Amino acid sequence: METVIETNALTKSYHGKNAVEDLDLSVPAGCIYGFLGPNGAGKSTTMKMLLGLVKPTRGNVSILGKPLNDRNRLSLLKGIGSLIESPAYYGHLSGRDNLSLIASLKQVPEKQVEDVLGIVRLKEQQHKKVSHYSLGMKQRLGLAAALLGYPALLLLDEPTNGLDPAGIQEMRELICTLPQKYGMTILVSSHLLAEIDQMATHVGIIDRGILIFQDRLDILHEHSRPGISLRTTDDDAACRLLVQNGLPVQRTDDTLFLDSHRDSDVLRMGKILYSMNIGLLRIEERQASLEDIFLHLTGQC
Amino acid sequence: MTMKELIVEYRKQRHLFVWLIPLAFLAALFLWGGAGQRNLSDYDLAQGYSYLLCQLPVLNCIIMPIMLAVIASRICDIEVKGQTWKLLFTLQDKGRFYDRKFLTEFLYLLLFCVGELGILLLYGRIYGYTEPIPAILCLRHLAAALLAGSAVLTLQHVLSLLSVNQIVPLLTGLAGSFLGLFSEFFPAAVARLVLWGYFGAFTPYRIDWDEAAGEVLLVPKIFPTGLFIGFFIFTVLFSLLCRYIFVRKEL
Repeated sequence: METVIETNALTKSYHGKNAVEDLDLSVPAGCIYGFLGPNGAGKSTTMKMLLGLVKPTRGNVSILGKPLNDRNRLSLLKGIGSLIESPAYYGHLSGRDNLSLIASLKQVPEKQVEDVLGIVRLKEQQHKKVSHYSLGMKQRLGLAAALLGYPALLLLDEPTNGLDPAGIQEMRELICTLPQKYGMTILVSSHLLAEIDQMATHVGIIDRGILIFQDRLDILHEHSRPGISLRTTDDDAACRLLVQNGLPVQRTDDTLFLDSHRDSDVLRMGKILYSMNIGLLRIEERQASLEDIFLHLTGQC
Repeated sequence: MTMKELIVEYRKQRHLFVWLIPLAFLAALFLWGGAGQRNLSDYDLAQGYSYLLCQLPVLNCIIMPIMLAVIASRICDIEVKGQTWKLLFTLQDKGRFYDRKFLTEFLYLLLFCVGELGILLLYGRIYGYTEPIPAILCLRHLAAALLAGSAVLTLQHVLSLLSVNQIVPLLTGLAGSFLGLFSEFFPAAVARLVLWGYFGAFTPYRIDWDEAAGEVLLVPKIFPTGLFIGFFIFTVLFSLLCRYIFVRKEL
């Protein structure tokens, strides 16, 4: 699959400390790439480097198949819409005036202002001063500005930050429709796993500046395959026996974990324990949530 | 820089009424000038323009730093407040953005300086000055006011762009106004170190008092060409430095 963003050993240091370190990002065309990480992990710095707003200490960036440099930055960015950290706006102007200004700077026809106002559902409030907008409306205005020119790539940095649940839902739905409707590739960052889970097709997890996971979302989900948790009258002996008999069993603090939920394995496990007179105290099916995987990957558990 | 880009810059200023700032200061200047135009003798009318040309640089020392601080702050604050840079700098070059904003501010400075000369000529007409219009001195005044104004505007421009809180550039403008005025009383070598003092550095006359005649004497001064060229070079270098600082700053 063609990639629209490719970074190679991308690094940014501030005062000798790496905010982003050797990042090899690969965003396939047409996907919604969820860029996930705790606050301060380096998501915004990475996005700013992708837009040339921050100069990398080392490494390089390719966007839409071309290496990004000082000379071609602005021409390359014409194919990109962005919403970084918080929406940019002129509070003393109306929403429509704001978009008209951006349309002039992007050199796109004024007619598109009307279209993007419709997409983000701001038509009714278009003549209101932006300083009187709610945060959700400002975010939608920011998204509308990013959509002007129908860019091939959209970079959205925490677009649901500060929104109420209804606003989050609305923004999420809006983002999900864009790749199908307009053929856009979207890179969306968030510190909320559930949010990315509901939007993204691909995911990259960054922690303390290092990319610790990058693949399709379903691959991440595979990490959460179910297993059987059990407690016996003699966990040590049971663990030894089951392993000797070829069953994938691990010992955790106070339980045993059978890394399989096939009926045949569960049946065999029961027979082995019964034959050795080891009593079964508790048995339950367990599935690691994405939250667990995320915490495990970021070393927070 | 294209005309289209400049128009976009003015469109951003819609509803801000920035043009009212130089007009308000010109109105204040006009009223001040009017107060000194009563009971003019033939002697006063014979040196009407020259007297005003002697007074205007001193007034500029007081007025201009404050006016330029307000103009720059008002124009730059819209970008600071709305955090528009993260969007703008994906669409346009940082250096061009800096230049275009400066140019819009400079045009207000030009409006004020030309308006100042307009007031001078208007008073000549209203009160019937008998002195011929000193065109060369008027142009010198215009050039000096624009040069000193550009240097101060450069400082206010970069401060307004870099400050999250606009109180910093506004206080700088206020302090500059005091410093500029008081630098007139400093020794010449020290006065030349005060940026805001240059409004008064190119005045065409020195005021003296003729005790015997009981009249104000205007003593012509030789135009300090060397100082003007030196200050021009300084202003250019200072502008380049401020631009470099802004362009180099990461978001």
